[in-house]
Amino acid sequence: MSAAGEPLLRVENLHVEFPTEDGVVKAVDGIDYEVGRGCTLGIVGESGSGKTVGAMTILGLTRAQGAKITGRILFEGRDLLGLPDPELQKIRGNEIAMVFQDPSSSLHPLYRVGAQIVEAVRAHQDVSKAQARERTIELLGLVGIPDPGRRVDDYPHEFSGGMRQRAMIAMALANEPKLLIADEPTTALDVTVQAQILALLERLRVQLGMAIVIVTHDMGVVAEMADEIAVMYAGRIVEIAATEALLSSPEHPYSWGLLRSIPTLAGPRVEQLAPIPGSPPSLIEPPTGCHFHPRCPYVQPEHTRIDPGLEPVKGEPSHRVACLLAAGERRRIWEGLR
Amino acid sequence: MISRLRMSASAGLAGVLMLGLAACGSSSTSVSGGSGIKVASGIQTPLTQARSGGKRGGTLTVLDHADFEHLDPGQAYFNLDYELTSATQRPLYSYKPNTFAAPSPDMASEPAQISADGKTITIHIRHGVRFSPPVNREVTSADVAYAIERGKNPNVNNPYFESYFSSLAGAGKATGGPFPGITTPDKYTIVLHLTEPRAQIVLDALVLPLSAPVPKEFASKFDAKKPTEYGNYLVATGPYMLKSDGAGKVLGVGYQQGKSATLVRNPNWNASTDSRPAYLDQINVQIGGDTTVIGRQVLEGSGMVQNDTPAQSIVKLAYEKFRTQLEISPGAGDHYIAVDNKQGPFSNVNVRKALWAALDREAMDKARGGELVTNVMTHFIYPEIPGFEAAGGLKGPQADYNAYPQGNPTLAAKYMKLAGYASGKYTGSKTLQVVGSTGSPSAEDAEIVNQTLKNLGFKTRFNLVDSSVMYSKYCGVPAEAIDVCPSVGWGADFGDPQAVLDVPFNGKNIIPSGNNNWGLVNDPEINKAMDAAESVLGTQARATAWAAIDRKLVAQAAAIPFDWDKQPNIEASNVAGVGDLWDTGEWDYSYTSLK
Amino acid sequence: MTRYIIRRILWGVLLLIAVTALTFVLFRILPTGDPARLRAGRVASPQVVAAIRHDLGLDKSLFAQFWIYMKEVFLHFNLGFSYYSSAPVRGLIANRLPATLSLVLGASIVWLAVGLPVGIVSALRRRTLSDRVSMGTALVFVSAPEYWLGLIALYLFAADIGKVKVFPGAGSYVGLTSSPWKWFSSLLLPWLVLAAGSAAIYARLMRGSLSETMEEDYIRTARAKGLSERRVVMRHGVRAAINPIVTILALDIATLLGSAVLVETVFDIPGIGRLNYDAITHSDFPIVQGTVLLGALFIVVANILVDIAYAYLDPRVRYS
Repeated sequence: MSAAGEPLLRVENLHVEFPTEDGVVKAVDGIDYEVGRGCTLGIVGESGSGKTVGAMTILGLTRAQGAKITGRILFEGRDLLGLPDPELQKIRGNEIAMVFQDPSSSLHPLYRVGAQIVEAVRAHQDVSKAQARERTIELLGLVGIPDPGRRVDDYPHEFSGGMRQRAMIAMALANEPKLLIADEPTTALDVTVQAQILALLERLRVQLGMAIVIVTHDMGVVAEMADEIAVMYAGRIVEIAATEALLSSPEHPYSWGLLRSIPTLAGPRVEQLAPIPGSPPSLIEPPTGCHFHPRCPYVQPEHTRIDPGLEPVKGEPSHRVACLLAAGERRRIWEGLR
Repeated sequence: MISRLRMSASAGLAGVLMLGLAACGSSSTSVSGGSGIKVASGIQTPLTQARSGGKRGGTLTVLDHADFEHLDPGQAYFNLDYELTSATQRPLYSYKPNTFAAPSPDMASEPAQISADGKTITIHIRHGVRFSPPVNREVTSADVAYAIERGKNPNVNNPYFESYFSSLAGAGKATGGPFPGITTPDKYTIVLHLTEPRAQIVLDALVLPLSAPVPKEFASKFDAKKPTEYGNYLVATGPYMLKSDGAGKVLGVGYQQGKSATLVRNPNWNASTDSRPAYLDQINVQIGGDTTVIGRQVLEGSGMVQNDTPAQSIVKLAYEKFRTQLEISPGAGDHYIAVDNKQGPFSNVNVRKALWAALDREAMDKARGGELVTNVMTHFIYPEIPGFEAAGGLKGPQADYNAYPQGNPTLAAKYMKLAGYASGKYTGSKTLQVVGSTGSPSAEDAEIVNQTLKNLGFKTRFNLVDSSVMYSKYCGVPAEAIDVCPSVGWGADFGDPQAVLDVPFNGKNIIPSGNNNWGLVNDPEINKAMDAAESVLGTQARATAWAAIDRKLVAQAAAIPFDWDKQPNIEASNVAGVGDLWDTGEWDYSYTSLK
Repeated sequence: MTRYIIRRILWGVLLLIAVTALTFVLFRILPTGDPARLRAGRVASPQVVAAIRHDLGLDKSLFAQFWIYMKEVFLHFNLGFSYYSSAPVRGLIANRLPATLSLVLGASIVWLAVGLPVGIVSALRRRTLSDRVSMGTALVFVSAPEYWLGLIALYLFAADIGKVKVFPGAGSYVGLTSSPWKWFSSLLLPWLVLAAGSAAIYARLMRGSLSETMEEDYIRTARAKGLSERRVVMRHGVRAAINPIVTILALDIATLLGSAVLVETVFDIPGIGRLNYDAITHSDFPIVQGTVLLGALFIVVANILVDIAYAYLDPRVRYS
């Protein structure tokens, strides 16, 4: 699954907290993961689970919001958290690039699409405007914008939603990053376009050999793309495993809920969706014990007191889960649910 | 914030000089003027100030919050306008800076000859006086005749012609052309023929700028415009002229409306024909600005005077720290309360006396700045006007209601009882219409009057409006039947008691609009006495005759007087300003010099 | 676009006609002095007043007066003549306009130069000490009456009456063409005073607008590209935050052109505002009408300019 040696990205015990007037929001509450070169990690969770904050923190984008950040984010062995802003800027958009959720608000409405990509190129490459423009047209072609030589001078509002996201991807690819972080890259798009964008990302990964961290609430998205999946809940990773393992034998009741909400081609879509009852917990005062216990159908009295750690599943060292239910019990319930 | 402290003759009507001043606690260690008026020591007055500072030449900067009204000598009728006309125009007669009683020959070469019947005035004019460019030629009697005649031109509309010159034969039907009342037997003689023996008032009025010569060949094309544009194309006879272009145009050259006026020497002026010393080379008038800023600039600066009334705070500052730069001019007009003599409660003389007795005149004057700039008014001919002493001087005629400058409620009650109100308070049903003027200190004074009326038992409808509105829509319109006008005042056109008393108190002068007999005073006996006094000749005789009328007005309490004004003016320390007593102490540019 | 602009101009002309009519009517309803009487002066007889009234055309029916006036203004661009000096109103306005333009445009440069940077810094350092201090100071300047501020400035810094004699004081204004340096130095204090309140307002506007903009997703994108924070703020944040301010700026300048009377008075600058104010106190209707019309014209033109500017500033805006 990954190349030998040091992984491309290693996140260690990452905490991100935002001081607010109501109290400290523990958006990310101690997460660890690795991404190997050319590999794809899917991070899945509901909104408010900390998955986006965690992803943005890799690029230091939460710094401007006054976040308190601890832990380590090692990119090719360098701790990004310790880097001063100017150093981090050299990495942003260059070695690590990011694609955001809503392409219509993520492009600057007052600048031409091409100019925005040119700016990304020239931020890291010492090339002339003309060269950067050529590169931009090439990139637009690469992401499947028809007639890129003409569309390069369009404004964002002249693009469709899907084209905007392609443009965002083109911008992210401008400097051939080693890692692409895609935060809900398809959520704002309609279904057919979603599939095209995912296919594009997958094609580019293979073509350019970059690693991808794809952040989504939709297990269906990562099921197709990711090599490994991390499930986040209330600022923590509650389960992490290779994609096949997680899809076939998920260990956490929350993962079960997510999996059951994947639409499949068989059967009417609406019936298939089984959302998890309840709402995400407060990140200022999270529930005691297992943070998931208020929504867990299998909760036991002691689960409200004991906070489970992320433990390897027996016989599967790369499959780890944070659940207090006994292994056999979990397997039995999942079998029943499937 | 921006108040016009001195209303213009036209905007305020009737030479109503709103002399606004605040309390300046004056401890007057008296230096006495000619009228016994006290002015605090160390302060100049037009009566006492040196007439020369010594230096010849230089430029005087004149700061002036208010704009001029009219530059045309046929239209000028405002004390600020007179500063320009005095320096640029030569009427037949004019006052020297220190007198308000005896005019001297100016364009005229000698005193006028009045025929025994008082109906013919013969005046000789000087030889060798020339108009400024572009006219350049010598002035003749025809130019004086044209100047007066054009006063009747509807496009000129001289504001005082009717009052003073209507007795000229044929003036009634004149429309600007020659009429029989003015003849010019030779180039240097002009004869005025009157239908009635009114020679004295006509002669008095010849100090006004209407009598300054106007060259017909130059002015008539402008006088044909409706209204005349001669004021925009002036020629001068005095030592100075408004800067003009080759065609004589001053508008936009020597005068920029609301902005500036520039006086330069008149190259055709011949000093040997004139008593004006004309020390200065140039006078730059800068119009606009904040009065407190202007005042400080003048007091702390050099080569400057302020034209209009300084701000209250500036007078105080000048009095305390720049006393030698302060000039106080007595005889600058008066303020009184006009009450409706014709109808309503004040048609009863005892009610009028009750208000006079009740009024705290000292409090009223304190709102205006106290003794530094006011005196308690006790009768109607004001200081420096002939007849002032004969009418009672500062103390005023003996009358119990005139004896209490701080007011006497008991005495007031006595007069209310005499008027038929047994309780000593008004018990009728009428609500009095009281219309005063906004702005300090008029508003404060009006408030005191309103309170006094209430204390007398009256109910009032009390309104304050802009002073021009007060005159043009309320107090000057008899049909409005305003009972009490607490903010009116009068400044005479020249030093003659008729000019003080006739228009505001003679019943024949009541007109349906633009009326200046605000109290509708129409006492047959007083009217008769005034008509007779109009014909009296000689300063002394006129003073006696009009002083007697003044005493009658007091006896009838025709109006309730409260303030005789003294006008403050300021100059920079290196300016030897000379003020014109007859023009509320305004600086006379043709006498003022730099030190 | 062109058709839209033409339509806007036509509407503007209609608006000007409406404003003219309104001023015309208001001036005659409100209890101001009677111009004929004011002009006639002291003891004028009713005949004299009637003659003046006739000369000034005030004896014609209101509608006839209005019709004559409108015809002159809109067909011949003739604003009439001052009741007082008979000077053509157009000439008076032309004479006063340079001073007001100098004052207002200069002040607007000052307030932008001060207000925008302060607003930007405040927006980027929200809730820090420097933000609180600058916004607090702004509040003081916003609430300080400019007339009072002008007096204080003169008493402190004027070369003639100030404590520290630095700047030329009141009444020192000269035209740009007669001496550029004197023009500049005489306007420094007025600029600062007139700009003070607006600088504060614009600082607050900029702070608000930029704070909002900096929350936008495209700012995050710009950061993610690896741009320097300076470039993120200036090129992406400020560029977008400035748009709403342009609208306000144009209208503020247009409004001030007709109403800088307080600063014009305190510094004795012969401008349009003072011309208008003096005319009102004199009931000099043609000047009042002319200056009001000019003020309305400024506003109409500013509105059209804003619309045009918007089309250039924001590619999403298209007029049809």
